[in-house]
Amino acid sequence: MLHNKSYLKRGRGGKVFKAVKEHYLRDDIWCSVECCTICSHTEPILSSIPAKTKLVTKPHYIIPDTNVFMNQIDIIEHPALQNVIILQTVYEELRHLSLSVYNRLKKMINDPNRKFYVFANEHHRDTFIERIKEESPNDRNDRAIRAAVKWYATHVKQIADKGKSLEIVLLTDDAENIQRAKQDGLLAYSVREYVEGMIDTPELVDMLGNVRISDNKDKKIVYEEHLSASQITNGIKNQTLYQGTLNISMHNYLEGSIQNGDIQITILGRKNLNRAIQGDIVAVQLFPKSEWLRAPTAVIVEEEEEKNLAEELQENCKPKEQSEEADSDLFEAPQPTGKVVGIIKKNWRPYCGFINKQSVKGSSTSTLSENVSVYPIDRRIPRINIRTRQAQNLMGQRILVAIDSWHKDSIFPMGHFVKALGAAGDKLTETEVLLLEHDVPHQEFAQQVLNCLPVEGDLWVVKDEHLQRRADLRHLNVCSIDPPGCTDIDDALHVRQLPNNNYEVGVHIADVTHFVKPNTPLDEEAALRGTTVYLINKRIDMLPGLLGTNLCSLKSKVDRLAFSCIWELSPEAEIVNVTFTKSIISSKESFTYEEAQARIDDQRLQDDLTKGLRVLNDLAKKLRARRMERGALTLASPEVRYKLDFDSQDPIDVEMKELRETNALVEEFMLLANISVAEKIYKKFAASSLLRRHPPPTAFKLDNLNKAISAFGLTLHYETSKALADSLDEAVLPEDPYFNKLLRILTTRCMMQATYFCSGTFSVHEYRHYGLASEIYTHFTSPIRRYSDVIVHRMLAASIYDDEVYGSELIDKKKIEQLCDVLNHRHRMAQMAARSSVELHTNLFFKGKTEQVEGYVTRVLKNGFVVLVQKYGIEGIVYSSDNSKTKLNTTASNSTSLIIYNSHDNSLDSITGDGKKISIKLFDKVIVQVSVDEDLVGGGAGGMRQKLKLELVKPVVPGLSVSNDTSTDNNEIIEENNYNNKKDKRENTNGGRKKKMKIENM
Amino acid sequence: MSSRLELIGPQGLRTDGRRFNELRNMNCKPSVLSQADGSAYIEQGNTKCLAAVYGPREARTKAQVLHNRANINVEISLAPFSMEERKKRSKSDKRILEIASAVKQTFEPIIMTELYARSQIDIYLQILQFDGGTVQICINAATLAIIDAGIPMKDYVCACSAGCIDDEPVLDLNHLEESNTPELTVALLPKNDKITLLQMESRLHIDKFQQVMEMAAKGCKEIHTVLDKAVRENIKDLLKKSSI
Amino acid sequence: MNTKNIVTPGQRLGFAQDYVAGPGTYVRGNLLYASVVGMKRVSKQTAEGETLVLTVSREKQQSAIPEVCSLVSKVIRITPKEAVVSIMVVDNSPCKEDFQGIIRQQDVRATERDKVKIHESFRPGDIIRAEVISLGDARSYYLSTAKNELGVIYAQSIEGAAMIPISWQEMQCTKTKAIELRKCAKPF
Repeated sequence: MLHNKSYLKRGRGGKVFKAVKEHYLRDDIWCSVECCTICSHTEPILSSIPAKTKLVTKPHYIIPDTNVFMNQIDIIEHPALQNVIILQTVYEELRHLSLSVYNRLKKMINDPNRKFYVFANEHHRDTFIERIKEESPNDRNDRAIRAAVKWYATHVKQIADKGKSLEIVLLTDDAENIQRAKQDGLLAYSVREYVEGMIDTPELVDMLGNVRISDNKDKKIVYEEHLSASQITNGIKNQTLYQGTLNISMHNYLEGSIQNGDIQITILGRKNLNRAIQGDIVAVQLFPKSEWLRAPTAVIVEEEEEKNLAEELQENCKPKEQSEEADSDLFEAPQPTGKVVGIIKKNWRPYCGFINKQSVKGSSTSTLSENVSVYPIDRRIPRINIRTRQAQNLMGQRILVAIDSWHKDSIFPMGHFVKALGAAGDKLTETEVLLLEHDVPHQEFAQQVLNCLPVEGDLWVVKDEHLQRRADLRHLNVCSIDPPGCTDIDDALHVRQLPNNNYEVGVHIADVTHFVKPNTPLDEEAALRGTTVYLINKRIDMLPGLLGTNLCSLKSKVDRLAFSCIWELSPEAEIVNVTFTKSIISSKESFTYEEAQARIDDQRLQDDLTKGLRVLNDLAKKLRARRMERGALTLASPEVRYKLDFDSQDPIDVEMKELRETNALVEEFMLLANISVAEKIYKKFAASSLLRRHPPPTAFKLDNLNKAISAFGLTLHYETSKALADSLDEAVLPEDPYFNKLLRILTTRCMMQATYFCSGTFSVHEYRHYGLASEIYTHFTSPIRRYSDVIVHRMLAASIYDDEVYGSELIDKKKIEQLCDVLNHRHRMAQMAARSSVELHTNLFFKGKTEQVEGYVTRVLKNGFVVLVQKYGIEGIVYSSDNSKTKLNTTASNSTSLIIYNSHDNSLDSITGDGKKISIKLFDKVIVQVSVDEDLVGGGAGGMRQKLKLELVKPVVPGLSVSNDTSTDNNEIIEENNYNNKKDKRENTNGGRKKKMKIENM
Repeated sequence: MSSRLELIGPQGLRTDGRRFNELRNMNCKPSVLSQADGSAYIEQGNTKCLAAVYGPREARTKAQVLHNRANINVEISLAPFSMEERKKRSKSDKRILEIASAVKQTFEPIIMTELYARSQIDIYLQILQFDGGTVQICINAATLAIIDAGIPMKDYVCACSAGCIDDEPVLDLNHLEESNTPELTVALLPKNDKITLLQMESRLHIDKFQQVMEMAAKGCKEIHTVLDKAVRENIKDLLKKSSI
Repeated sequence: MNTKNIVTPGQRLGFAQDYVAGPGTYVRGNLLYASVVGMKRVSKQTAEGETLVLTVSREKQQSAIPEVCSLVSKVIRITPKEAVVSIMVVDNSPCKEDFQGIIRQQDVRATERDKVKIHESFRPGDIIRAEVISLGDARSYYLSTAKNELGVIYAQSIEGAAMIPISWQEMQCTKTKAIELRKCAKPF
């Protein structure tokens, strides 16, 4: 073993640091070619007869360079590419350049079918090269790649001498690299050349990334050049630039904002956004104060005509309303605005979208490739130009595209086609789209994952050997209460009276960790998925069905493994004592909420199980009262449930979700279990516990709400959750019973998101869960559908059993922290996917329907207002000037608008024909007409992007309101409103299956 | 889920190209200082340490005098240029004092201090370059210097660290590895496998412990052969010189 | 030179019953081990039945530590009660660093101890032979010159010339012939 040592000195941020690194060069790194007799590897990866193509007629191995992975990862992922050698140089460069590409590559390396071999060329004695003086690191790496290719080429020649003929092909898109490789006598091709030679898989050509080297110099430059990385770092350091994640407004795709500490900087217009895309981490430069924004922002109705684009870009992109609004200082402090000067980290991902029909010019039979533009489904993403041969085929389909580059001389980014998803409007396709858009991993479980399941399959039963270390609780009267049709039962309860008149209450949670062992493919997959995602018509499981709905599910009348949390509670529901144990239980009954409620109410039933339910119900009420006393919040969100047609799975009716006492019962004990467990694991893992916190709301948002309700003579106090809970209780308008719920909905939106965190990363007083008014909290009760609970289970097991085996996955602060980030992301995405699913079904429901319903104004914008329709739980914008009119009266002149925005009381005013003044304010009750507005963009019919259209019916505003044909009976609506505006929205761990999703907000 | 830092590559090679069970390259030389009674210089990878031993000599402070045996005094200093950032480190740095006390405790039962009552043996250790494994290199350097000083000791004391990366026991951690994984330092008497120091500051699961400790013990043995070879070469040189 | 005889600490040398453990070795259990690096030597058998002494001799001469034996030291300073000396040689082996010793008034000579005056016995700079009588308190070794063969062995006169002993109490300067008082050692 030979080695060398390299001493590097490098300056980081002005300071000089010394970095010492050792670098050993070895002789025992093998080529891993199956038939190689020179090397002494034991488990060769590369097949001895690799594929050949039209271009390279001999069997060959492929060595791609770094940029090929960066730009063409979709091609590399294609199963047609096998026997690829990944050089360590490339592997490491990728790790630094893009984690997502790196992770995708890792996946391929781990797949034995793909035959991807990582060659540690940097540690190989013959392929290591020293950086030459004045050589850039990139050049050095290119040279290292060539050196390794050369070594391989000579090496396989030596094998070839023994009767075989093998080649090595370097794939690179760098012309200079190709040239130099050819000088060295190596085979080198660009990806395009190579892929075009793979005649068996023509679709690969379409998947080529479009990295355009700017050749047309005559084209005018549209965007400002980005600053260099060092300029950005310096700018951020001396605070002339601000760093933040760009968040594009849902209502206006040309308006973005970043949050930097306490200040929010708004970025308006395409030019100022300067090629940044939703989610990018950007560096922003502030505009002088005089250009700051003073008014609420307008809604950009839809994508404007293309012609306008160029004009718009030439303008200074100041907000157009600026001049008119300049004098209205009344509108609070001006909002800071700025422009993007650099992108620190790109957040490009594949986007779902559809081809703009107008951009397709070729005839229907043409197979020539042409440029078309793709509208992403996510409105916040700009159009993407791609080149494809299948434009005609792809029209009317949802497709997946990836962005390759965005040059400063092109208005829109360049991308390439990845795959077609199916016909637009089709429910399956649309579901697939929304899963992709929300980054929900939804593939079938891989074989490696399924291999981790018990070999007995569904014949697995609890055996005596499981009794080891487990309490046998099969004799207890355990039952579960869940929503109807629930198959993944992860919690069950029991209660019994103790001789001293106290009660023993047990919460039994499915023992998922018995099956999901750390560091198995199953565990990794679950960690990646993070949560089960509930859509209206589909459930994307975190764990394979065998576990989730069978072996772990605490079904009735079978023995199941459980993790039990058992309290001794006084009759006043005070905790006397708590113990945790792994156990075996046998549930006596699985109730639905309704059945359980019926049992409690039916006084004739006096069996033990029913009596137990009543005791639990009493205890839960006491627990709940105490929790409320501490200041737990009761919040709300509009919740509806769609009834699906059994066969077509189309929504046929919509109903409000109903809440019973039993929901609260289960929820109360789950909360108690979660809190008890949180305290327990925090004791053992002070620095690495996985906990959940809910920070108090920021004053800013609630102040705005306060301002709005001050008109009703109400105020909200939010110093503590207790104060907020009390003031919410008091905020009742006798004439409008729905008002309180509406207020709760809006308050909920002001809340921060509850998040997972690692106890070592926050100080103790920040652990608090504001909404639940608990000092410490975690998730323990749903391990089947949440990965956080799996980790908490492992931590709890380690806390109670000294001999429990665990590794760094429970004690490494960094790992837990990373895991928290992933889980928080997954949960947010799962929520949003669920919401999109509701939206999708709402659209399906309203397809071909028009209905007039009552709604409430929840937000007033400059050129419209947002209406919440409680009956359907939908929210949408009513534009105060509709599309056609916008075009007539140029957007800039508000004077001709039908409704004038009044900044004094944040309302929209209008004068009716008879001189009466109508004003629309927050919380106003309006009647709107709901219909599906199809295909606003994309040219022509086809339902490319469906959207609910809301139109104002009442109050009647001339020119804006649609005629009121009184098809709806108002009384009926009011009646419906009275219906159940009770409690909802709190940490409810065992409500309706779907309902659970929104609870995660907490 | 995966972090940017990957301590073990897909090839089973560590960041510096070693395999799990390989030590870093080791160089050592006794008798490098003429002033001191005994001295040694050791490199283990990029960690470099100079040791000087004085004594047995009269105790500097009377309070330290022990009536039945010699007092061992260990002082460790980190050269200002030893770490990534050039910085002067005080000798009373808690970390350094702790390591010094560990070294002292390691040697107390090994050096035959009862032969030198009321005297003091000073061991001065200077880290010239730091790349992980401070405790182990301090112990190894001290062993070599004590032997060089001719102070009777029962056996060599060899120390080596080991850790656990992705559930795989790994030998002789460098700084990068050490700051990301639990590290166990073992010092043992290679002739009879008696452990005189076992130190770990992070958490490692008890199931892994045995493997990691065996790995470290194996490393100690390897270090012993290197040290022993250096000592023998040195004495051969001396004999040659003295015979001429 | 036989390199096979080189041993290192911890190396096993033989059975304890066969040898007597000499310097540089130690016994553990019933085995003999080396404790320093050096050459293994076995003493020549002189008489039948005598056990051999096994030593490992160190190449480097090591600093000596005072024990209860005779030694040579130099007077550093004197007070009416005692003379402070620094110990230079212990039992014929030189110390690398000096150890501090004290000769108290009552330890200067064997007779008429109460009449001893330190300044009439030692002067700073004198080289004396003494023996350790006690390891003393925490501060110093206690030395004594209360034997005939112990006392000043070398001294310089005020002039700076060497002096020769003329009686057990007096020394004479070789240059000025002046007589100074000392507690002299009886020359061998």
